Amino acid sequence: MIRLVLIAAVAFGGIAFPYLLTSNYFIHLAILAIIWMIVAQGANVIQGYTGYVSIAQAGFMGIGAYSSALLNLNAGWPVWICMIVSPLITAAASLIAGYPSLRVKGHYFAIVTLALNMVIFIVLVNWIPVTGGEGGIAGIPAPESIRIADIEISFLSRVNYYYLVLAALGLVMLIIAALLRSRVGLVLQAIRQNETMAEAAGVACWRYKLFSFVFSASLAGFAGSLYAHYMSFLSPAPFSVDHSLNAILAVILGGSGTLAGPLVGAGLTVALPEILRIADSYRLIIYGVGLVIVVIFLPRGLVPWLSDLVRRAVRGRTGKPTEGR
Amino acid sequence: MLVDLIQQLFNGLVIGSIYTLVALGLTIIFGILGIAHFAHGSVAMFGGYLTFFFIQQFGIGLFPAMAVAMAVGALLGVVLERVAYHPVRNAPPINAFIIALGLTLIIEKANLLVFGVDQVIIPTGFDRVFNIGGVTLPELRVYILGIAAFLVVAMTILINRTWMGMAVRAVAQNRPAAILMGINVNTVSMFVFGLSSALGVAAGVLVGALFAVAPGVSGGLVVKGFAVLILGGLGSIPGAIIGGLVLGVSEAFASAFVSSAYKDVIAFLLMIGVLLIKPEGLMRRRSNR
Repeated sequence: MIRLVLIAAVAFGGIAFPYLLTSNYFIHLAILAIIWMIVAQGANVIQGYTGYVSIAQAGFMGIGAYSSALLNLNAGWPVWICMIVSPLITAAASLIAGYPSLRVKGHYFAIVTLALNMVIFIVLVNWIPVTGGEGGIAGIPAPESIRIADIEISFLSRVNYYYLVLAALGLVMLIIAALLRSRVGLVLQAIRQNETMAEAAGVACWRYKLFSFVFSASLAGFAGSLYAHYMSFLSPAPFSVDHSLNAILAVILGGSGTLAGPLVGAGLTVALPEILRIADSYRLIIYGVGLVIVVIFLPRGLVPWLSDLVRRAVRGRTGKPTEGR
Repeated sequence: MLVDLIQQLFNGLVIGSIYTLVALGLTIIFGILGIAHFAHGSVAMFGGYLTFFFIQQFGIGLFPAMAVAMAVGALLGVVLERVAYHPVRNAPPINAFIIALGLTLIIEKANLLVFGVDQVIIPTGFDRVFNIGGVTLPELRVYILGIAAFLVVAMTILINRTWMGMAVRAVAQNRPAAILMGINVNTVSMFVFGLSSALGVAAGVLVGALFAVAPGVSGGLVVKGFAVLILGGLGSIPGAIIGGLVLGVSEAFASAFVSSAYKDVIAFLLMIGVLLIKPEGLMRRRSNR
């Protein structure tokens, strides 16, 4: 019951947001936050549910962003088509990369994906004829405006783009929720809990791991496409390893293996640096210290910690035990 | 052509010896504690800045400055272990990794605040250039190779011949048994972090003398260190030595004969190739993790 109310409240808050905070700056931040939430949701599938930490999410986001922008600018495809095709291109790239990477486990896997992100970044910087190098690509158009009845909806408007990314996030969350309830989702969680046992039970784990990796990468690619057509300018900088780490932090901060965790985490990783701007050059140090403190004292993340608090409060009041999740 | 090959081999060995120093620090930490110590590169850069600072402010020579910086680096390593890694030793490994990322942010930005944003080149005064049969050997690079070799040998002796080294190897092999034998694992952890950070600082100083100490160098350095670990096998000391040299030489060849912009890509392709063919690393017979 509490849960349904919360979900409804969050959804309502998301829809009402542009009317509550009308400043362009806040809407801009909110769009970025939602794009990062999509990336974090993807990271959560491989990291939180499957138990493999991939440090290549920002790189895959870059593949999605550049392929979407280039297909639109050079091949003249409509933006909407690019937004559908670019996650598929990202998926293909991650399929090729995932096959060798998933032969190894634990730290090895993390390091290999980290190297993969560096490779993507180096290619983005050095393949100048295609990507424009450090100079980047400018003039990427927003999605074509659509006409419903007699109302024309233009995505050049920030508020409309906000609703577009919000709808995209909703769609992504629905897909992930359905995935988690399916057999595939159960197998993924079994792999996280005990891969040897899952293997012994007759599951071809590598297929599921590969699926999880490709799925999370294509979500990052989708987010990249949304990013490209929002910013209208692309340079390699947002797709560096630092930003992959940000996605991981979002998952850990919010609570890995929960659907709400990445939302909270990604929101914080976008909002915190802005809030902490007061401290200026000390900002990132405070950020780092905060991170260390959270991991030491709240190792499961904010969302599980908060829901424990709420559950304890509810139980204390009614005196009867509530069901565990 | 042959001269070119030898020239690139020499260049590669010099770079590779620095990678080896970085990787040795990472590999002993990984072997003992199972931590991917991502902040290692930032510690190395801190040492580079500190050495530069000592030379500039107190006018002492390169080697005393480097020795003091290594001692300070060792102390920093012990503090990091106590304050940040020790509390999460029983949590899932990802938590220690996130701690490492947090530490990287902290040290990296602290470097910026304390030492400024400019890149610095550590002055050495070794400007002579030797020429043997057409192969140019800058004095500085020869010394770097020598210093690195000396440190590697010193560390090997420390690990193989001393009581503390024996304790370190025992914990790496079998932690519970080592505890039962009365080895204080806390002391070993601190020792390993101190030793590793001192080696990292040495690597940072050599990078600073050869190229420059600058913000942003540390990330590349630490990733190269991990690439070496994958090549050689996580936790393996001979693997780190061989892997570092292999990576350095292949990078030098790649940048000389293929493309200098893509030399890092080639290093990573090498790493992925090793993973495909021999996932446990070049120097390990089989994986026991």
